[in-house]
Amino acid sequence: MSIVSLICIHSQTSDVLFLDFIVMASDVREQAHGSVASQLHSSEEDRAFDMTTSEKVVELLNQAALISTEEKLIVLKQVQELIINKDPSLLDNFLDEIIAFQTDKSIEVRKFVIGFIEEACKRDCELLLRLIANLNMLMRDESVNVVKKAILTLSQLYKVALQVSFSVSDMQEACWDMVTQLKEDVLALLDSDNDGVRTYAIKFTESLIITLSPRTPDSDTPKKQEGDISLDKIPKDHTYIRYDTLCDEGKLALEQLLKFMVHPAISSINLTAALGSLATLARQRPMFMSEVVQAYETLHANLPPTLAKSQVSSVRKNLKLHLVSVLKHPSSVDFQGQISTLLLDLGMSQSEISRCTPATVQPRQEDQDGNNAFFVLAEATLVEDDDDKEEPAPVVTPKPSSSSGTQSSIDLTAEFLLPLLNPENVANLVLISMVYLPEVMPASFQATYTPVESAGTDAQIKHLARLMATQMTAAGLGPGLELCKARDEEVKEEDGGMGESSSKDPLIIRKLSAVSLGQAISVVGAQQAAYKSPVTEEAPQIKKLPEPILPTTQPKAPGASGRKKVFKLADVVQPFSEAQIEKLANMAIKRILQSEKAIAQSGMSHVRVKLLARLVTQFEGGKKNDLLQFILEDMRGRSELAFSLLFHEYNEYLGQQPSGSLDSYEHCLFTLLSGLQEKPEQRDGLFTKLVLEAPVITDSALEVIQRYCEDESRVYLGMSTLKELILKRPSRQYQYLNVLLNLSSHEKEKVRSTALSFIKRMYEKEHLKDCIEKFALTYMQFLVHPNPPSLLFGAGEDTEVAASWTEETVRQCLYLYLSLLPVNHCLVHELAAVYTEAIADIKRSVLRVIEQPIRGMGMSSPDLLLLVENCPKGAETLVTRCLHILTDKVPPSPELVERVRDLYHKRVPDVRFLIPVINGLEKNEVIQALPKLIKLNPIVVKEVFNRLLGTQHSEGSPSMSPLTPGELLIALHNIDSSKCDMKSIIKATNLCFGEKNVYTSEVLAVVMQQLMEQTPLPILLMRTVIQSLTMYPRLAGFVMNILARLIHKQVWKYPKVWEGFVKCCQRTKPQSYNVLLQLPPPQLASVFERCPEMREPLLQHVHAFTPHQQAHIPASVMAVLEANSRKPEPEPQPELHHPEIIEEREVCCDEAEVATDLFFCFVMYIRV
Amino acid sequence: MSCVSHVSLSLHSKRGFDVRSFGTGTHVKLPGPAPDKPNIYDFKTTYEQMYNDLVRKDKELYTQNGILHMLDRNKRIKTRPERFQSCKEQFDLVITCEERVYDQVLEDLNSREQESLQPVHVINVDIQDNHEEATLGAFLICELCQCIQHTDDMENEMDELLQEFEEKSQRPFLHTVCFY
Repeated sequence: MSIVSLICIHSQTSDVLFLDFIVMASDVREQAHGSVASQLHSSEEDRAFDMTTSEKVVELLNQAALISTEEKLIVLKQVQELIINKDPSLLDNFLDEIIAFQTDKSIEVRKFVIGFIEEACKRDCELLLRLIANLNMLMRDESVNVVKKAILTLSQLYKVALQVSFSVSDMQEACWDMVTQLKEDVLALLDSDNDGVRTYAIKFTESLIITLSPRTPDSDTPKKQEGDISLDKIPKDHTYIRYDTLCDEGKLALEQLLKFMVHPAISSINLTAALGSLATLARQRPMFMSEVVQAYETLHANLPPTLAKSQVSSVRKNLKLHLVSVLKHPSSVDFQGQISTLLLDLGMSQSEISRCTPATVQPRQEDQDGNNAFFVLAEATLVEDDDDKEEPAPVVTPKPSSSSGTQSSIDLTAEFLLPLLNPENVANLVLISMVYLPEVMPASFQATYTPVESAGTDAQIKHLARLMATQMTAAGLGPGLELCKARDEEVKEEDGGMGESSSKDPLIIRKLSAVSLGQAISVVGAQQAAYKSPVTEEAPQIKKLPEPILPTTQPKAPGASGRKKVFKLADVVQPFSEAQIEKLANMAIKRILQSEKAIAQSGMSHVRVKLLARLVTQFEGGKKNDLLQFILEDMRGRSELAFSLLFHEYNEYLGQQPSGSLDSYEHCLFTLLSGLQEKPEQRDGLFTKLVLEAPVITDSALEVIQRYCEDESRVYLGMSTLKELILKRPSRQYQYLNVLLNLSSHEKEKVRSTALSFIKRMYEKEHLKDCIEKFALTYMQFLVHPNPPSLLFGAGEDTEVAASWTEETVRQCLYLYLSLLPVNHCLVHELAAVYTEAIADIKRSVLRVIEQPIRGMGMSSPDLLLLVENCPKGAETLVTRCLHILTDKVPPSPELVERVRDLYHKRVPDVRFLIPVINGLEKNEVIQALPKLIKLNPIVVKEVFNRLLGTQHSEGSPSMSPLTPGELLIALHNIDSSKCDMKSIIKATNLCFGEKNVYTSEVLAVVMQQLMEQTPLPILLMRTVIQSLTMYPRLAGFVMNILARLIHKQVWKYPKVWEGFVKCCQRTKPQSYNVLLQLPPPQLASVFERCPEMREPLLQHVHAFTPHQQAHIPASVMAVLEANSRKPEPEPQPELHHPEIIEEREVCCDEAEVATDLFFCFVMYIRV
Repeated sequence: MSCVSHVSLSLHSKRGFDVRSFGTGTHVKLPGPAPDKPNIYDFKTTYEQMYNDLVRKDKELYTQNGILHMLDRNKRIKTRPERFQSCKEQFDLVITCEERVYDQVLEDLNSREQESLQPVHVINVDIQDNHEEATLGAFLICELCQCIQHTDDMENEMDELLQEFEEKSQRPFLHTVCFY
């Protein structure tokens, strides 16, 4: 067995693996094969030279008798080669020896013998006389493989036999008889049990038909068969071969083939083979074109139900291939319409078909209006019908008509049907045949059904008529068949006795009309009977048709059938009881309900839907609920039904106007919506569709919609639906809007935020704006009530309950308002009005929630500026809060500063207003406000300093401050002590020192320099000097300089500063010694009075000088230094100190104290 | 004549299939450095030439993806790839792995003039173009061939066999018969 694997090389993976697999297999083969062959060859060739052919053959034959099968075959093949091709004269001599192998036990050897017979007869056709009996024997071999080979050979030899019969004069008639007998046997094998044998028989039949029919000029004959004999070459005056007989035999064979093909249980391979044979026939014998096309049509409409799905695809592929090859033949011209319709059905495009069509104009199919669906259905139904048939329905082959003028019975019946196929009739046909559709769609139908593109066009109606005609003819019905039969009769009469084939027809018809008047056919028959009146000339024939067996379910049947005189319906039947009627009605509806799948398969679901909706609307109660329940089980699949029912209910209501009630409609809508709402995981928008398409949204439906919106997982979908309702149903839009507005204060965050975003979008619509605004303000107005309204707790009444306001309830009243605020700024005034009236708790809540919207409005908002300007009484905190929010991240705008300044100066002189805009003020304004500012709460002071020093935010621009850090510190020193207490000032300066990053040694040096140059000297000067020195010890040199300059400014005249001066000197010894030495003697003495322990070190310092240096020390100073006699105890202080200074001294002198002071600053810094 | 023999991937059998592999396209395509850059040769090119060409182009890549290994084995079996349409020998069974190829084979076989009427079965097993599928497919085809050659009367049992395989492998087979 040779196996070819075709690998399409397209990518890495598959290639590698496949080739590997193939390669492995090949390896094995090579090993197995090579050894035997090479062995034989070598032994052969040694002797070949010195032997005659005859001797060699003898040698080989002797060898063959002894060796194994495999080797035997090789040897025998060599013999065959020698005596057939090399030296045919030997053929006769060795014929018997070779034929003797036909009894060999090996199948392969016997098959070889058959092959040999074929070759031998082809070489010398007279040998057939001797060999035919052997072939006959082998044809009856027990092995099917041998039989198959024999059939194959007979296919070839039949032609040879025919040739021999009339070219060789002494050909024995018996031989021909045997050939004829063999032919009959093979034709009988079409009914063999073996699939393969049948396939071979089909091919034999094909070649037989070719041989037994005349070749015509339009025949498409393969080159190698040019010389083959065919009917046209047979002389009509032969002694025992009669032209007519052969011709009839050929036709009979075709008939058998066609009959074979429509067998309902035909295997897919047989079918494939037969299809191919038909194509070959059509091309080589175009006279059979009509039969072939008809057979294809029949097959396409009646694919055997036994085929599996993939087999159906294979068969359809083949059908397509063969149809194309037939179409390409020029003689297909008359059948192009049928063939291309078939090809279209098989999924070929019109353009592809045109490409395969030989050049003739293809009539373009035009679309017609309306009713297409019926035709589609009719076609589908017709195709379907035949799956029910149990009996083979062979196409009754008409007389093969070489004269193309005669029409087949199918053609005639189709012609008859065509005018009857108006939409109404087709619709009726479809409806009636619905009853007979099978429960489950057969695989063949599923595979073959394609939407009919050309539905309703003339061409398609013609096709439909042909389909029906095919079915009818197959069932032995129709005027065409009658006509043909009549025609055949005539022919028969003319022919005399030789009417073998025509006598077959009535036989088949009889058989069929008795058995296979299947259900579908009966419908067709009934229809036909109904339409007989308009077609007068056909009437007599129709009368001859067997009466169809009408199914009992047909409603007309009891009334229409006869027996009128004895049978009175009323006598034998009684009216049903109410309960029975009810029960029957219920059962009927239930059946329609359950037939869902079957009807869907037939494509008639819309009729069922309509029927159900119409029926159920007319009943009360139970059935409606049943239907609704049924719909809800699979809402997605049954949405059509749902809508239909809903519309019917509404229609019913409209029909009962003006007194009609919507109850039934409402119940229907409510049940459907609730069903959808309660079902989890519905993402297909059915709910939306239902809501939007419902003619009226009732109150209960609206409640369901609201519930749907409250479901967090579907809130978006729900609200989108609601939005659509609001926008598209203007008559009740406020009602719908109200639902949405109510949801804006919903306790679930997701529901609320979604509602808010939807409302915000709708707020842009002019006609909805007022309504939304009013709602928002109404809610906000609740805040002036002492208790929250019950509305907020879900209760519908507008009564106040005893609960008190909470953060949550306050927010609930404000959500909508606050989301509108950034869009419509003028609403802010309403807030101020409410704020002034609200209680403190609410005020606090309000201040907390307004941050986001106020920031959204921005400081350029005119309404916000107006609010600042007006600042209603009681709303100061609100305004301050607004100012803080606005300036939190960005510097204040000049407009804002202007408004605040105005407010501060003219109406509310609260310095706290200024803080948010402090960086927008003038330098002198800030300095003026400073005394007031530093008296505020330390945290606020810290905030002020942060703003001024730009230490507030990293992104804030410090350059915006009207004061430099240095200027600020100087301004603090210069605050009039009558306006502010010293303690606040010291704390403020400490805040400055706390900002070590801002107050660097350089800044402090400049500050000290400038303070020192002032006259009079600021009280806190020396405190600052010491503080600076503590922070930056490397400033010591600079400080010495300051001290020296202070001596020039006669620092001792400012007692508090002087005291600081001395402390400073004390802390900076020994550097300060040189400064001390510059003091005038009295002041030096004053220093020693305050700190006597300084005198001795200073004296030693002087003693350490060089004599030259010592000479520069004035004697008076030396005197003070050496004044040993002075009493060590200091005199009591002459002056009273300010408490602040005492404190300062403590602060300054005690280093621990300084540290805590710094620490305090630090803590402040951290806290703020 | 045919060589009915046993094969299995394990190579334990004594005899193998008489197998030939063919291409149906107009060219031989081998994987290249990228999916859209295959190496294309005509059917005149020998495996040897392909081998040398690929070694020259990128020895490492083609060693790694197994192409060189494959070509090496192939060239020991026959000199060059063959095109199915150009092969006039008669076979009993043709297996294709892609519907497109199946169609091409059918078209070719049907366009040939009938002579001996010897049937040839054509079977298509769709195998997708990835490593896993190809492995499965190779085993499937091998198993199918084994089963077919185990039958006494291939043509009679083919239908049933294919149905079984279809069910087992959960993929549709196309099957038809053509005649030489």
